[in-house]
Order: sequence, then structure tokens, then C-alpha cells
Amino acid sequence: MRLLRIRLRDFRGVHDREVHLAESGVTVLEGENEVGKTSTVVALDLLIDFRDDSKAAPVRAAAPSGRDAGPEVEAEFVTGPYRVVYRKRWLRRRLTELTVTGPSTEQLTGREAHDRLLAILDETMDRDLWLALRVEQHTPLGQADLGGHDALTRALDRAAGGAGAEAVGPAADAAAEGLVERALAEVRRYLGGHGRPVGPLREAGERVAAARTEAEVAAASVSEVERDVELRADLDREATALAEERRGQNDRVRELEDRWSALQARQQEVATSAERAEAARERAGRATERQDARARLVAAAEAAERAADQAGRTLAGLETGDHARREDLAERRAEADRAVAASDAATAAARAAAEALTLARDRTELADLRGRLRRAGTAEEARREAARAAGGPCADAAAVDRLEGLDRAVVQAEAELAAGAATVELTGTAARTTLAVDGVEREIDAGGSTTLPVADAVAIDVPGVVRMTVRPGLDGAAARRRVAEARAARDEACTALGVADVAEARVALRTAGEAAARVRELAAVVERELDGRSLDDVRAAIAVLAERVPAEVAPEPVRRRGARRPATDEPGLFEEAGLLDDASADPEPEDLEPLRVEAVRTLDVADEAHREARGAEEAWRRLDASVTTAGAEVVAARTALAVARSEADRRAAELRDARAEHTDEALAAAATDALARARRYEADHEQRAAALEADDPTTVEALYATAKRAVESLSSRTADVERRRAEVTGRLQVAGGEGRHDRLVAARSELAAAEREHASVSRRAAAATRLHETLARRRDEVRRAYVAPFRREVERLARIVFGPSLALEVDPALRIVSRTLNGVTVPFDALSSGAKEQLGLCARLAVAALVDAEDGVPVLIDDALGHSDPGRLERLAAVFGAAAAGSSHQVVVLTCTPARYRGIGATRTVTLNPSYPPPQAVADAEQDRDDDEAGSSDQDGFRETG
Amino acid sequence: MRFVHTADWQLGMTRRFLGAGRVGQAVGEAQARFAQARLDAVTALGRVAAEEGAAFVVVCGDVFESNLVGPDVVGRACEALRSFTVPVLLLPGNHDPADASLVMRRADFARRCPPHVTVLDRPGVHEVAPGVEVVAATWATKRPLSDLVADRLRALDPAPEGVVRVLAGHGAVDVLSPDDRNPAVIHTAECRAALADGRVHYVALGDRHSTWQLHGEPRIAYSGAPEVTSHEETDPGNVLVVDVGADGAASVRPVRVGRWAFVREHAVVDTDEDLAALDARLDALDAPERTALRLVLEGTVTLRQRARLDEVVEAHAPVLAALEVDVAGVATRPDDADVEALGLTGFAADAARELAEATDPEALDALALLHRLAVTR
Repeated sequence: MRLLRIRLRDFRGVHDREVHLAESGVTVLEGENEVGKTSTVVALDLLIDFRDDSKAAPVRAAAPSGRDAGPEVEAEFVTGPYRVVYRKRWLRRRLTELTVTGPSTEQLTGREAHDRLLAILDETMDRDLWLALRVEQHTPLGQADLGGHDALTRALDRAAGGAGAEAVGPAADAAAEGLVERALAEVRRYLGGHGRPVGPLREAGERVAAARTEAEVAAASVSEVERDVELRADLDREATALAEERRGQNDRVRELEDRWSALQARQQEVATSAERAEAARERAGRATERQDARARLVAAAEAAERAADQAGRTLAGLETGDHARREDLAERRAEADRAVAASDAATAAARAAAEALTLARDRTELADLRGRLRRAGTAEEARREAARAAGGPCADAAAVDRLEGLDRAVVQAEAELAAGAATVELTGTAARTTLAVDGVEREIDAGGSTTLPVADAVAIDVPGVVRMTVRPGLDGAAARRRVAEARAARDEACTALGVADVAEARVALRTAGEAAARVRELAAVVERELDGRSLDDVRAAIAVLAERVPAEVAPEPVRRRGARRPATDEPGLFEEAGLLDDASADPEPEDLEPLRVEAVRTLDVADEAHREARGAEEAWRRLDASVTTAGAEVVAARTALAVARSEADRRAAELRDARAEHTDEALAAAATDALARARRYEADHEQRAAALEADDPTTVEALYATAKRAVESLSSRTADVERRRAEVTGRLQVAGGEGRHDRLVAARSELAAAEREHASVSRRAAAATRLHETLARRRDEVRRAYVAPFRREVERLARIVFGPSLALEVDPALRIVSRTLNGVTVPFDALSSGAKEQLGLCARLAVAALVDAEDGVPVLIDDALGHSDPGRLERLAAVFGAAAAGSSHQVVVLTCTPARYRGIGATRTVTLNPSYPPPQAVADAEQDRDDDEAGSSDQDGFRETG
Repeated sequence: MRFVHTADWQLGMTRRFLGAGRVGQAVGEAQARFAQARLDAVTALGRVAAEEGAAFVVVCGDVFESNLVGPDVVGRACEALRSFTVPVLLLPGNHDPADASLVMRRADFARRCPPHVTVLDRPGVHEVAPGVEVVAATWATKRPLSDLVADRLRALDPAPEGVVRVLAGHGAVDVLSPDDRNPAVIHTAECRAALADGRVHYVALGDRHSTWQLHGEPRIAYSGAPEVTSHEETDPGNVLVVDVGADGAASVRPVRVGRWAFVREHAVVDTDEDLAALDARLDALDAPERTALRLVLEGTVTLRQRARLDEVVEAHAPVLAALEVDVAGVATRPDDADVEALGLTGFAADAARELAEATDPEALDALALLHRLAVTR
């Protein structure tokens, strides 16, 4: 088909526009947005698809907004051998007109025109291809669905060179395409995706599974009964066997019971004989005991008699000894008394001697104390006196030293005076001359000389001869003053000390020191005499002693010559007679020695006597104790004798009584007899017991018990079997009424039917699968034959865009699978939008180029290539050219960006301008409405317009 | 003395080829009719006994298909027995052995069982009437370990004077199934010996569903089932009316009571004429509603002939009680005309030819499907 002309009236925003298209080559329709480019394409679809009486949504959408006019489309085109002008108006003043001008002229209107046009198109044009080669605005320019188009397959068949007269023809392939779909639909009845059973196949499978389960359950329920039947038979057999066994066991129990009863009777007899033997033994024992008791009684009587005799003898012996000791005791008593008396006398003598000695001692001490007291008093007195002497002014040694210092200062001063003063030298001329210098006599030997300093006036007096006074001059005044001062100081000090001069001071000091020493001496004397005691103490002691010593009995003290007389040559400080002569005042101490010797002697005698007395007394007392003890023994022996005698009498009486009852001989005979009987009975018992033991009653008893237990065990087993038998029987009774056989049979029938059905359905599914698989395979084989020329053409065009290294892979459905460029293969879906768009355009143009001119349809491109860059656009322009070369197909491009398609060498470029209704359009519209209203009453619903 | 000898009623039996019911349904329509027919046969033989003046009816085993048949089967069997006017002796067989589950001791049987029915559930001699004894060789278990009939016979002394003794046994006889490993096989020699010395006067057997008499000894016989149960049976559907005297003289007369037929047919289908003949043959079947036909076909047919064959079979299947067609011997060879008839073009035609040339059944099915799809286009 080729579009020659298309005219729109009152179609959407277009008031009235006619566009002429180039019959072959590219026509570019350019115009701004909303100028009505796309409306042109829509108009063509409406024209073909919708009858003029349609009120479908696309038809209503085509009505001009704001105006009440019916949209109208008129197209002129060539298709196959036909040249056609076709006009339609919808909604208002509907009309359809068809004018065919070749090959034969036809004029049709209304429904006939519509049907005729569709018939012409079906005959001459591949409408699917028409839609496939179109690129709508706003839809991505991608793969075109090119498989199965009659025109294309015809073209490809031709291109593949397979179009022979014998071939059924590519159109047949297209028809067969539907068969593939139906075969697939058939497969899908049975199998879903991944071969999953669905629909009847799944149901059949489920029926088989359910039937199998039921059959298994039913079979199991039948087997259960069969098992129970066998179990019941087994239990019957077991019950029978058990009954038999019980009978046998019962017989054995009875037999053993008999044996055991007999043995029990004999055991009783043995027990009786044992008791009898035991009783005999006891009787024999008692007889023997009686015999033994008699013997013991006899022995006891004899022993008691012997003991009594022995006691009598012992007593006699004891009484003899006792008498002798008593006599001895009296003797010893006298001896002891005598010794005691002697001892007492000696003691008295010793005491007298001791008293005398004591008295003497007291007297001596009294005298001594008195002497001491007296001496101490004297010494004390002297000491007080000496202390007074020692307490003088010159007693201070320091003061005396100071005085001596002052005296030396005088000497020094005088020496200085003398040194500086004139001297007087005196030289003896005679043998001895005495002279006085300042009153001091001096003697000067012949030839001797004395030099005298003249510090002061020196008066030299040669007695009898001359008094010469030498006086110092004035020049020594200072020295003399110092001397004078020193002397004054010394004299003052002397005065203070109460002494005349230094010498006196020294003497005084020494005297004081001696007195102090004497004080210490005397204090020591007092101390010694008093021996640390105070005077009062001594006096108290004297008073005590004096009281003890009676004055009248005081014997004349024996004077010891030389005693306590101090030696004349005794060094001492006691130069005063008063202190040394007091000893004569003391009485002469007594001589105590004879007294003491006497006292000691008498004491020794007393001691000896006392010892003797104690020894004698001791001896007496010992003897006395032994006599006492012996006496007690005698008493005890006497008592024992009495007891023994009584015992002996009692025993004798007892024996006598016993013998009176049974004589010893009778007792012995009875014992012998009883023993013999006991032995007899024992022998009898042993014989019986041995006989019983030989018959092994223990084993028999054990066997009997075991047999009884076995019977019990058999009973319980029997009960168990019976119980299980009852259980099984109950189960069988229940199962019997359940019709398990019928259920099993039904289940098996159902299973067989289900399996048959499943096999049948499976077979149908397999057939459908096989058919579809065969058809699809054959179809793909055919398609593959088409692919090569298609791919060649697409590649030829696409290489213009992508370069000579491009290669494409195309599948049997004529879809581009992948693009290989410079050795890099990319799946179509992964390509960029631009590349997809470019390849899609190439594919469409290739189809257009391939398809025969008569079969061809226009390629309609509505504002595509939005994704292509300017470089590619330029190359695409070349593609348009190359596609057009050597071919006569028609390409219509609609665009709002004319620059995109500048380079494609359009055969014709039509600039679309807005087509608005003229100013009188309102009036027209009114008119139209009137007409429409008029027309709406018109049955035919259309009319001619100019 | 006249009595009726029958066996193998197999009440409760179903036949799978008669069809299951729909899912969840116990039996199909043909199955139900068959079950009723078997009860009818029982009633019919009761009538025969009455008409023939038989002293009793002895059923030699397999009265029931199983000891585990449902109460409905038992109840209907008892109803059928109720119509009898002579004593009936029921012997347990291998299908209904006298074990713990014996159906004829079940409470539902005992409740409905008419008084003139005796169950021979204990082996030994049963006196039916003065001078008439039946010796039961009862199956006590499903798998007996000895020849039960011989065991019974050996325990017998010759019948007293004037007493007619019939042995009722069940199982295969040695002359028909010489199986050394089956310890329970019935030794005909023992039976002959017992007949010869007068211990028994007739050996009534069950287990074989076809009527059969020992060659040369009519007093050893299988009555066969009163109604057919299998396609393998040669002469089912009879009961035996037996006249036997104490002197050993006997006459045995089969009387037909069964009405169903289980038929095997064989046909060759090679041409359209063969198909037409087969159709006519099926049309001509007598009492098809009581006929279970097992049809074995062989031959070579085209696709169209095969379709015709299927059509013929489908047309007759609803009429027959059962129609099983064995087409294993039929080869389908599509010819060019088959493919042409599809009216296919393009690759579809190629595919059709490929399928036609393939020989596997799946390809034929696929071709048939293609045919259907192409025609309905």
C-alpha cells in the first residue's frame, strides 16, 4: 500500500488539512507540537477500523473540541492493483464513501463501502505488517514483531531463493502458525510450566494416588484380619497344648503330694521319738544330779567337821600366846615408867641450868647497855662542844684564801716600793751586831750585809748605838700609797675575820678544821655505842632488862681483869680524861662460861634420859598393840570355832535327814536305770531319723513345691492365652461385619480404573507435547531459512550506523538477539536505548526494503530517534537513503524537530501549519448543529457535503 | 435319592472389567447387575431343586467370595436362600474357610440364616435325612496341608445298608492340576476307591468353575459356578441334578441356571470391509447387556481406518456389559491420503508427514491430535 494523500476535517485540533505524500521515498511531515501530526496517523486507523456509525472511544476522542462537528477523514492510496479514494465521517452527518478508480471503477457508500475496502485491504495488504512497521510517538523504538507476516515471509522466501512452484507457499506457513498455538494450548491443558501436570492430568494423578492409598489401606485391613485368623489358630493350638500340659502336671502334683504326705507323717513320728528321748535324757540327768547332790552333801558335812576341829586347835594356840605376851607387857610397862621418871628429873635439871644462864646473860647485857648509854652521852657532849669550836669565823677556808691574797698584794706593793725606793745597805763590821730595823731585831754577821729598801721611813736602831731613821723622798709617794691601800684592805679583811693578822687567820682556820674532824669522830663514837639505836630505845631496852633481872638475886659480877680497859698507847683523839675514864664506871661483866657448860651438860643428860624413856615407852606400846591384836585374833578364832561348829552340826543333821529319805545306794541305782533308758530311746530316735533321711524328704518337698508352681504358672499362661484369644475373637467379630473384602475389591477396581484413566490422559498429554514439539521444530526450521536474508539486509543498513565490523544474530522469530561490534557481543536487551532505537529502525527499513513493492506497506515513524546523537543521526540519514536505494517503498516521518531528519534526503518535506477554523466557524458550527439535528431524523444518517 | 450339586457361588465377587463406579462409588452399573445376576442364579437353582424334587442342595465350597464380605452381601445371600424349599448344606471352601473369621458363623449371617440351611463347618458325617448322609471335607484354614477329601474318606467305614452317602469336598483334583507341591490336591484314586467299596456313593466337588466330570467316573464331578465368573471358564452356569442310589448307581444331569456370558472374540481388521464386518458382528451379539466381551483385534489400518475402528468400538461399548478391546495386534500405518486429508500447508504439512512416518504410538496419537486441531480450525 502507498498513501498518496490524506485529508482531515474537524479532526481533533485540525480544522481542514490535506497532505500529499511522495509515492515512494521519504516524506517528512514537520510541524510544531500539537499541530496535528499524530492525528494524521490516528485518522488513518480510524478510517480503516471503525464504521461511520461507531461511537467507540477513539472515535469520540477524534471529535473537535468546542465544536459540534463530525470528524472526517479522506485518504487516497494505491494498494495492490487498486487505486482508492476513501472518505468517512463519524458522529455528525455520518458518511462512508469509496471510490475505486482502478483497475475497474467502483463507487460505493455506507456499509458496503466499508466492507469492500476491508476486503480490498485483506486481499492486498498485510495489516499486521502495517502495524509492525509503524513507530508510534512516545513508544520506544525497539524490536518489531516481524515473525509470521505474510508479506514479509513471502519476501524472505523469495530472498532465500526457496520459493519454488512446488512449495506450498509462505502464506501456508503463516496459516500453520495458528496450528502451533493450538497445539501449545493443547499441551497447556495437561502440562503447566516446567512440565508440571495440570488439569485432567493432575486430577488423574491425584486419583491414582488416592486410589493407591485406599487400596493399600484396604489391603492392610484385610491382612490384619488374616493375621488375626492365624493368631487365633495359633492361640487355639497353644490353649490345647497348655490344657494337655496341665493335665500331666496335675497328675505329677498329685503323686508328689501323696509321697509328701507320707513323709510328713513319718517326720511327725521322728519328732515324737526325739521328744521321748529328750524326756528320758532329762530324767536321767535329774537322777544323776540327785546322786551328785548326795555326794556333795556328804563331803560338805565332813569338811565342816574338819573345819570346826581346826578352829578349836587354832584358838587354843592363840590363847597360849596371848597369856605370855600379857605378862611381858606388865614388865615393859614398869620399865617405861621408870625411864620416864628419870627423864623428867634430867629435864628439870637442864631447865634450871638454862635459867641461870639466861639470867646471867641479861645482867651482862644490862650492864653493857648502861655503859654504852653513859659513853654515848659523854661523846655527844664533847661533840657538841667541838662543833661549837669548829663553827668560828675563820672556819671559812675561802675567806682565809682571800685574806692571803690581800696579804700578797701588800707584799707585792711593798716590793714595788722597795724596788723603786732607796735602799739602805747594812754591812756588818763587827762579829755580830744586833740591830733592830723598825723594831725588828736582826743580826748581821761580820762581812754580811743586808740591804734594806727605804720605802717608808725605816728606823734602824742599833741598840745602843744609834737610832737611825731613813725616810724616803717624795718620788715614791704613789708606791707608798698603793702599799698603804693594800695594807688597809688586808687589815680590813683581818678585822672582818676577827683576827689580828694573816698568821692568826691561818691558825684559826686550822683549829676550826681540827674541831670539825673531832666532831665527826665523836659522832662516830656515839653511833658505835648506840649501835644505830636512839638513846630512847636503849633506855627502853635497859628498862626491860632491869625489870627481868631481880636486884636481890643479882650475883656479884665476876670481874675479869684487863677486860675492856683501853690501852695507854692507843692512838686517839681522846685526850680529854673525861672521855677515857668512864669505863671504870661500868661493872665488871660476869663469866657466863661455866653456866653455859653446865646448861649444855644438863641438857644432854636430859635428852638422853628422854630418849631412853621414849624407847621404853615405845617398846611397851608395841607390845601392848600386839597383845591387843592377839586378843582380837583370839576372839575371832573363838567366833569362827562357834560358826564352824554350828555348820558342822547342821550338815550332819541334813545328811542324816537325806539318808533317812533315800539311802545312797537307792539313789545310785535310780541314776543308772534312768541313763540306760535314755540311751535306749535315743537309739530308737536315731534309727527313725536316719530312715526318714534316707527317703530324702527335702527333695520330695522341693519337687512338690515346684510342681505346684508349675501348675500355677500353667494356669496363668492358660488365662493369658484365653484372654488374648478373647481379644482376637473380639477383633475378628468386629472386622467381620465391616465388609473389608468389598472395600478392598472396590479399592482395587478404582485403582485400576484410575490407572487406566491416568495412562490415557498421559498419552493424550504426550501426544500434544509431541505434536507441539514437532510443529515448533518444523516452524523454526522454516524460519531459520528466512533469517539469513533478513539479517543480511539489516546488517547492510546497520553497518552504515555502526561501522563495517558489525554483525547481528537474529532468531527464527526475526528478533535481533545480539549485536557484535569490534568482536564484542552484547545482547539486544543490554544495548543502550540509542542503539536499540537505531537497530529497530534499521530492522524496519530492512523489512520495507525487502518486501515487494506490491505487498509493501508504508513505514511510519512518528517522532522517533530521540535517543540518537547527532553523529548517529547523520549516519541514520544515510540509512534512509540506502534503504530507499533500489527499492520503491514509502517512508513517512513525522517530527517536531526537523533538524533530526535534515540529512535523510527527503523526497518531499511537508511543513504542517496549524489549521484553525475560520472566523465564521461559529456560525458554521451552529449550522452544523442544525443540520445534524435535521440529519438525526434521517434514517440513513449520512448525506453528501460539498 | 436326588439332590442338587452346586458350588462356587462366590457371592460378593466383583469383576474389574465390569467397571468401577465413579470415584467414591462402590460399584458401577454393570457390576451391580452382575451381582444381582449371581443372586438370581442362586434363586434359580433353588427353583430347580424344588421342581426336580431334590432331597437337598449341597454347595461345595466358596459360597462367599471371602469371609470378609460386607453385611449387605451376607444379607442378600440369606434372602436368596430363604426362597429355597429344600435343605441346603453350605460347605466352607478355600475362599471362606472355617477359620475364626468364617462368614457363616458371623452374627449377621446367623441372624438371617433360614432354618433349612446347615453350615458344614465341622468336618465329618452329617445326616441330612434318615438314610442320607453328607460327609463334609471342610476347609478349616486357607492353606490345608493335606488332601482333606482323602482324610475324610479314610476315616469312613462303608456306609451302612440303605444309607446313601455323598461326600462334599472342595479343591483341585490331581488329574486336572497335577501339582506335586500342593499337599491339598484331591487324589481321585482315593475317591474311586471309596466309591468302589461303598464308603461314599458320590463325590461332589467345588472349586472349578466349569462343569466337569471325571472321565469314566461320573460320580466324581465339579458342578461349576451357577453363573459365569471368568472368561477362562469353558462351561459355567450349571448345577448338577444327581440321582444316586445306595447300590452305587448314579446319574448326573447338568441344568443351566446362569444367564450371563463372558465372551472372547477374535477379529482381523485390515480393510474397511473388515471394519464393517466387525461392526455387524457386534450388532448381532445376543443379550449384549449380559455379555462381557473381550475382543482381540489384529491387522494393519490407516489412520482413517483406525479412527473408524475407534468409533465402532465406542459405539458398542455402552451397550455391552463390558467391552475390552485388545488392539496390541493392530498396526496403524498412516498413508499419504491421511496426511492430505488434513489439508495442511507449510511447515505443518512437513510436521504431519514426519509424524506419519514415525511408527511409535505416541506419534500416531500426535497425528490424531493434529487431525483434530486442523479440522476444528
